[in-house]
Amino acid sequence: MENKDTAMEKRIPVREWTVPIRVHHWAMAISIFFLIVTGWYIADPFGVSSGETVHKFLMGEMRYYHLLFGIILTMLFVWRMYMGFFARFHANWKNFLAFTDWKNFVKQIKFYLLVSNERPEHVYLYGPLQALSYIGLFVMIFFIVITGLILTGAGYDHGLLGLAAWILTPLERLMGGLAVVRYVHHILTWLFVLFIIVHIYMAFWYDIVFKEGTVSSMINGVVFKAKEH
Amino acid sequence: MGGTNGSGNRRTVEKQYRELMEYCQVHLDQIEETLPEPRESFQEGLAARGISRREFVKWTSFITGVLMLPPMFRPMVARAAENFNRLPVIWLNFAECTGCSEAFLRSSYPNVDDILLDTISLEYHETLMAASGKQAEENFKKAMTDFEGQYILVFEGAIPEGMDGKYLRIGSEGKTSKEIGTEAASKAAAVICIGSCSSFGNVQAAKPNPTDAKGIRESLGIRTINIAGCPPNPVNFVGTVLHFLMFGALPPTDSLGRPLFAYGKRIHDYCERRSHYDAGEYVEEWGDAGAKRGWCLYKMGCKGPYTYANCGKVRYNDGTSWPIMGGHGCMGCYEPGFWDTMAPLEKPISDQAIGVEGVESKVNTVFATLAGLTVAGVAAHAAASAIKRHGPEEETKKKAEKK
Repeated sequence: MENKDTAMEKRIPVREWTVPIRVHHWAMAISIFFLIVTGWYIADPFGVSSGETVHKFLMGEMRYYHLLFGIILTMLFVWRMYMGFFARFHANWKNFLAFTDWKNFVKQIKFYLLVSNERPEHVYLYGPLQALSYIGLFVMIFFIVITGLILTGAGYDHGLLGLAAWILTPLERLMGGLAVVRYVHHILTWLFVLFIIVHIYMAFWYDIVFKEGTVSSMINGVVFKAKEH
Repeated sequence: MGGTNGSGNRRTVEKQYRELMEYCQVHLDQIEETLPEPRESFQEGLAARGISRREFVKWTSFITGVLMLPPMFRPMVARAAENFNRLPVIWLNFAECTGCSEAFLRSSYPNVDDILLDTISLEYHETLMAASGKQAEENFKKAMTDFEGQYILVFEGAIPEGMDGKYLRIGSEGKTSKEIGTEAASKAAAVICIGSCSSFGNVQAAKPNPTDAKGIRESLGIRTINIAGCPPNPVNFVGTVLHFLMFGALPPTDSLGRPLFAYGKRIHDYCERRSHYDAGEYVEEWGDAGAKRGWCLYKMGCKGPYTYANCGKVRYNDGTSWPIMGGHGCMGCYEPGFWDTMAPLEKPISDQAIGVEGVESKVNTVFATLAGLTVAGVAAHAAASAIKRHGPEEETKKKAEKK
């Protein structure tokens, strides 16, 4: 590589992420973070032994915030689905089909495994593997939201969740009872942890390897592409 | 709902209850004529067992509450109870431990439930009847023909379907449980499954289920009322039968056939230790300070949050106690497949195992290892990238030249 300054000059800003996508991303990041933290407490709580019972409400608070962010995540999921099908800006569901580009798919794997240095050209907004992993993420969100709603609404047939009871209760039975639902919910949480590790690493890796400002692009929406020769 | 609307609603509900009451009266008049004569008068039976009229009236209030009916139905419950021992019952014992019968028949001192079950017109019950052999089988056939379309058929125990059902053959004719069950169910007025075995298969159907045991509903493909539990609460059985006597129909159930009056809400929602759960006060170890103070048993593997049951409200043994009150968590025995889904019974769900049989480990251990491997993987990738992309100057220059 050449001198750093000249490298900087050769780059042009390209708008990659629209405002709704960025807001959605960070809302999702925050809610998933709090959901994992509070969910962890609910799964494996530490007891509070000192003080009077009447003054303590730790599990109650944790459950409150867990449900709150759970509902937010549900809304975010619905919002993203809406954007995927009805948005006029760059958020179309077709971008998730990037993995069907088999040539690039193989190239991308070689590139990630550091076998080849050739960077596959992205026809879509996402790379082929990226698209596949985000589809996986949406499937995970869908199932964790559904299992979460089942666990929240179990035994209550009133209110908003009561409206969904006609589908949630049969699903609960189909899965084999609340214990299984709870088990699946727990495993899905772990999958989120795995996803987050890889996701954050890949963002930084891209940022460092291509110097296009991948990490900051989720804040300002702009990547700095190298100028065509 | 607001004030004016509320009174309107109340009027509608009251009207519905009055209509239900009239229906109930007509129905009771009808069954009092049609049901076979009792072997002994119920009121005399109560007196002989030392239950006063006042105690009986108290009990009717209790059962009315259990059935979630308003107090105006108490006289109807009393009338139904008086006809309880006129309802012919055939009780079949299949793959089970007779624990349910035991739970129903034994108690420290008899209360009204026990007397109802003591004086119940049992036409056939393998454990309790005096007859045996050929005579017993004749009794069974006679009961089925005499009370065809009238009797309540009670199943206790699962049906093992493996080896064409040969795991369980009863009587000198060597009929399989499935044959007996099909025959008896075809002539019954209603089928009630007592206990988790007949409801869902229970321990016989737990993995690996060598006899291919199944619950009655699944095996015979008939509509049953499932009084699940290991053992279930006698009150729920008595309540179901009284409902049948009062309204001529079995109570509304959930999709698993469990009456909603008893299985509508989770143990966790009614638990007397729930406030300790919300406060974050947990028993960490059997017999620790928290256990002595009656704290929540969630960390000791209580399965109350996953179990629909009224144990905490009705309690066992004449309302004396129930598992959580006794200091041990719920095992979820009212739920289908609880031996598998609730295992390990004294550990929280997050301690459940994952993996194929033989190579399984705790979910948390497996995924913590996976997360560790992922971190190691990305670290290795980062190192490899650093070496490859920011290696010696010459190498990068070579590549640039090639371009």
